[in-house]
Amino acid sequence: MGMFTEGIEVTCTPAGVPLRVRWQGRDYRLVAEPHCWFERRKWWEEKVRIPRGAGAGLADYEMWRLQLAPLRGPGEFFSVDVSFDPQSTRWRLVKTHEYPLALGA
Amino acid sequence: MSFTHLNVSSAFSAHYGVSTPAQLVAAAAADGAHALGLTDRDGLYGAVKHVAACLQHGLTPILGVNLATLDRSGKPTGRIILLAQGHSNGAGYAALCRAVSAAHSETPAAMGLTREQLAHALRGGRLMVLLGAESDVAKALEAHRYAQARQALVGWKKLAGSRLRVEIALHLSADAARYSLGYASKLLRYAHELKIAAVLSNAVRYADADGAVTADLLDSARVLGSLAELESVQPNGQGWLKSSVQMYRLAALLGRATEPRFGRALLAETERVAAWASLDERTDLGWKTPVIPEAHIIGVHQPAQQELSERTHAAISRLLPPEEAAAARARLADELQVIEKLGFASYFLTVAETVGLITELGVRVSARGSGASSLVNYLLGISHVNPLRHDLLFERFLSAERTTLPDIDIDVESARRHEIYQRIFEAFGAERVSLMSMQNAYRARGAVRDAGTALGLEQTTIDDIAKQLWRFSASSFREALSEKPELAALAERVSDNTDLQILIDATERLDRLPRHIAMHPCGVILSDVTLYDRTPVQPSGIGLPMSQYDKHDMDYMGLIKLDILGVRMQSAIAYTLAEIQRLHPSGTAVARAGGHSRSDYIDADGFIDLSRVPLDDPSTFELIRSTHTLGCFQIESPGQRELIGKLAPREFNDLIIDISLFRPGPMQSNMVKPYLEHRHGFAPARYLHRDLVPALAETHGVTVFHEQVMRILNVMTDCGFGTADDLRRGLGNPNREPEIERFFRSQAAARGYEPQVIEDCWQVLAGFGSFGFCKAHGAAFAVPTYHSAWLKAHHPEAFLAGIWEHDPGMYPKRLLVSEARRMNIPILPLDINRSTDHYRVEAIAEPTPAPAPQVPRAPGSVRPGHYGIRLAFREIHQMSQRETARLLAGQPYDSLADVRHRAGLSRRTYQNLAALGVFDSLLAENNRADAIAHSQSLTPNHGIPAKYRPGPGQLALPLGPIDHIARSGQRLSAEEMVRTELDLMHLDASGHLMNSYTQPLAHLPITRATELLHLRNGSEVLVAGVRVATQTPPMRGGQRVVFISVDDGTGCIDATFFADVQQHTGTLLFNTRLLLIHGTTRRTGPRGISLQALNAWDLHQPETWPDPNYLQDPARPQPSYRPRSHSRVTFGTGELAARMRAEDLDQRGA
Repeated sequence: MGMFTEGIEVTCTPAGVPLRVRWQGRDYRLVAEPHCWFERRKWWEEKVRIPRGAGAGLADYEMWRLQLAPLRGPGEFFSVDVSFDPQSTRWRLVKTHEYPLALGA
Repeated sequence: MSFTHLNVSSAFSAHYGVSTPAQLVAAAAADGAHALGLTDRDGLYGAVKHVAACLQHGLTPILGVNLATLDRSGKPTGRIILLAQGHSNGAGYAALCRAVSAAHSETPAAMGLTREQLAHALRGGRLMVLLGAESDVAKALEAHRYAQARQALVGWKKLAGSRLRVEIALHLSADAARYSLGYASKLLRYAHELKIAAVLSNAVRYADADGAVTADLLDSARVLGSLAELESVQPNGQGWLKSSVQMYRLAALLGRATEPRFGRALLAETERVAAWASLDERTDLGWKTPVIPEAHIIGVHQPAQQELSERTHAAISRLLPPEEAAAARARLADELQVIEKLGFASYFLTVAETVGLITELGVRVSARGSGASSLVNYLLGISHVNPLRHDLLFERFLSAERTTLPDIDIDVESARRHEIYQRIFEAFGAERVSLMSMQNAYRARGAVRDAGTALGLEQTTIDDIAKQLWRFSASSFREALSEKPELAALAERVSDNTDLQILIDATERLDRLPRHIAMHPCGVILSDVTLYDRTPVQPSGIGLPMSQYDKHDMDYMGLIKLDILGVRMQSAIAYTLAEIQRLHPSGTAVARAGGHSRSDYIDADGFIDLSRVPLDDPSTFELIRSTHTLGCFQIESPGQRELIGKLAPREFNDLIIDISLFRPGPMQSNMVKPYLEHRHGFAPARYLHRDLVPALAETHGVTVFHEQVMRILNVMTDCGFGTADDLRRGLGNPNREPEIERFFRSQAAARGYEPQVIEDCWQVLAGFGSFGFCKAHGAAFAVPTYHSAWLKAHHPEAFLAGIWEHDPGMYPKRLLVSEARRMNIPILPLDINRSTDHYRVEAIAEPTPAPAPQVPRAPGSVRPGHYGIRLAFREIHQMSQRETARLLAGQPYDSLADVRHRAGLSRRTYQNLAALGVFDSLLAENNRADAIAHSQSLTPNHGIPAKYRPGPGQLALPLGPIDHIARSGQRLSAEEMVRTELDLMHLDASGHLMNSYTQPLAHLPITRATELLHLRNGSEVLVAGVRVATQTPPMRGGQRVVFISVDDGTGCIDATFFADVQQHTGTLLFNTRLLLIHGTTRRTGPRGISLQALNAWDLHQPETWPDPNYLQDPARPQPSYRPRSHSRVTFGTGELAARMRAEDLDQRGA
């Protein structure tokens, strides 16, 4: 298991649910229903500006745990935690897990 | 598919909710919701606004409350929601109101409901209990005490039976946090096991995701700690009003985590409960249906309309001379007809009954506002203004076109307001009366303090910033920073400081959010015996119940509110009259003292009945024209004294006009200058059309009054006064004005008016129509104005004592003490045996003839010097009321030892009194300095032990001056005495504060206030004085003007600081007490002169003062060009209207 914050491309359904992932030049498919949660963000420790109307994403991080397998070719299942920032509309990879984790436990 | 939110907190859940009910309803409506609930914390504070917003958007309202549950010892165990049943003829809503009131009852002390109280509230099955994530059950689950959770749930089922629902809220927080999927699923399973139906909610605190940050700030403000130290922040920012689609998704997710049918059942049950709780505004809430006290309560035993007719007709012959009776009867018939049509007769009788109660208490009372337009009000004794004599229009107050209950505002003596409230509760019965509340909202200063605390900024930084913020809303913080010169230094600091930028962001977020509920200063709600079924109440702080609804809620809820306003001037007048009577205990003595040529208004015992005093007394108008009007109601401010000087009132109607002109609208829309020019004959009055001469003659063609706008509309369109008033209210309203303009133009054209006349008239209506003043209101105000000036002219000592006693005006008391000097009224020092806790007038045994004062006195009244005013034991720093009472009970004292033994003063007070010279009259061979030294030498345990002190009624053994007081050999300088007085009383009584600056300023060419008047217009001067007033009225064109008045001992000097001067005076403008000002004189009238300031210095910083030859220095600031005040008015309605609304100065409805 490792900790990252590196860029990752995530393709979503119109409802915003991840569908496919491209990471380090490889495409992955989801092998289980992804699990979403919103992690507390302590904006007051980050010295970020909080103007009125800034929108979502200041008080929490949108997190997804995805069970992935390579879209093509062989490869192990594994889990990643990714986060979506509605302010920048970018996805970041936060964590990889070496083995598939139970979802929503 | 549509989802109904049942758990929603609005911003009226103070320090919790973020969005207003209107914002929440708008968001729900935009998502296509059919209904929306509001469940504010601890009360129904936002309920009426919620219902109004729902009706506006076509949503069905649902009401509930979020309340704490208490255990046997009164400790909070959790929170639940109670929802009211709808379509129950109000039974559900009544149960909700009663439950909320019970939660606020004083037993137990904590706010919330015990199990017994809950059982009582649930009896009848009109309330539904929602057990959600804040309940004791959820708390036990979170603590992994599963058995306890299950047991608690069983207990709830037993208590609430079929009216229990488990409420599932899912914020998708991280595992093991509140509102996580894990806990939500667990709670849902428990509900299923125990066969309790469950509903879905989102525990909403904000309308959209952006509100989460504001909610964090509020959480912090609630516990008064920084966010970093906060124990339980929100688990995340998902508590917003999510769309139906999103809620359905959450339900599906819950279904996947438990069983799919659970998810579907959640949605279905939510809508079932929503339907059960859907309110009908009319049958459940009595929406807009006024409820008036039962007839027998107001002593009426026949139809109210008949009673009203009989009473008012009978009053005509009692109150009016025979020659006015016929006109009065015709007017009365019209008014009664409208009242009958609207069914408001019992309302008028209720108000009359209340005024009667107040009068019986011997309290001064008078109606203000448009109520003075009504003859019915005059005949019932509610108002003291005869509308026929002042040509006031009833329709400005009430008409068939206006169906809401009119406001009748009643002014009473402020000092006796609570006594009046008690009497009203007693007379109507406590179950029919409650006080009205008001919501205090965040303004800039409070917002910056709470935001700073939340962010964990240094307290000194926060204080430093907060104290620079001066009366503007937090939302305009950034604008203020860029515009206001006194904030320039702060703006500089902010520009490159992220912490401070975040502070401003946070401050702007808090702006205008409700902060706490408080007793409204004057609103009393009167109703019938069902009142507490229709409003929740809570304790008010004065022992009487207070409604959770504010003034905006009254009409909607059919609640009748009387504004019983405590007016200090009324107390000051009452005090003055009592002093006059005490000093001159017979009618003839009063007449002699006051120089009254007639005495038909003076009772034999010396009581003056002001209501019978003629309104045309020449010496009163002479005093007013002199502009020495400090202490007089409405006309004492610098701006008013300037206007009075220009206008030179000669009769009562002039006072009405003066008061009406001195309003932001007329002042800014340039109505004053043309009026004055026409009045003084400098320019002939011009009328828009000869048909309008009758309407506008009294103000020489200038439209000043609402009544005149109504008359113009009526003459030109023949619409009738009722419609005219409705149209008038629409002027300046962008939604209504176009339609009104079309109507006006077409109707006026149809009646044959020339296009140019129509155009000119419309310009007047559009430009000034909404900013005029209600003449009836002006007339009601002018009465105490006249009375106070009358008393100041005829009984100046008693009047000033009344003003000192009740402090009714805008100025610090020390200025009113200075005024005594200008009136040549001796200020008698504090004295251990002569002072009391009131300011009393004393006859002076051996009067020294005083020169004629600057402030004119009525001819024939007692000359100055015969009476003085004795300073009182009030407002002495750190002297408690108890100490004062003990001291007074022991009077007289014959020595210092006697004081120490019997007065029971604390050591500190004893020392303070010695320093103030209170004991001087007891000192035979010593002086004040000796007494001070002596008082400081005493050990803390002076005096005799309490058990040996004489009890009440016992006399102390006279011990004589047994203390030996050493002579210190010191003497106090006059300056030291003044310093001490300012420190301990905030008054400079023995001499003026500025006296001590005479010497240091001797090298500068200082001009005194008395000398200013003799200078030519445009003279350049230096003046120095103590600040007594600062005003920043809103100004046309956005250029702020600051008015600062200083008192130099000979009088007040009013200085105007324009924007460019504000730039280089900076913080000095607001933070400096003693000022040296450079300016040029500006003559404002025969008796008035003011300064246009060019520069200013702090008297405390002599090193910054200018050189003696400053006024010859070519580098000194020069007066620059000012826009002439008669430049053409170019704005129509937009900017000024917006500005006045922002400043809460919109007078249209007043």
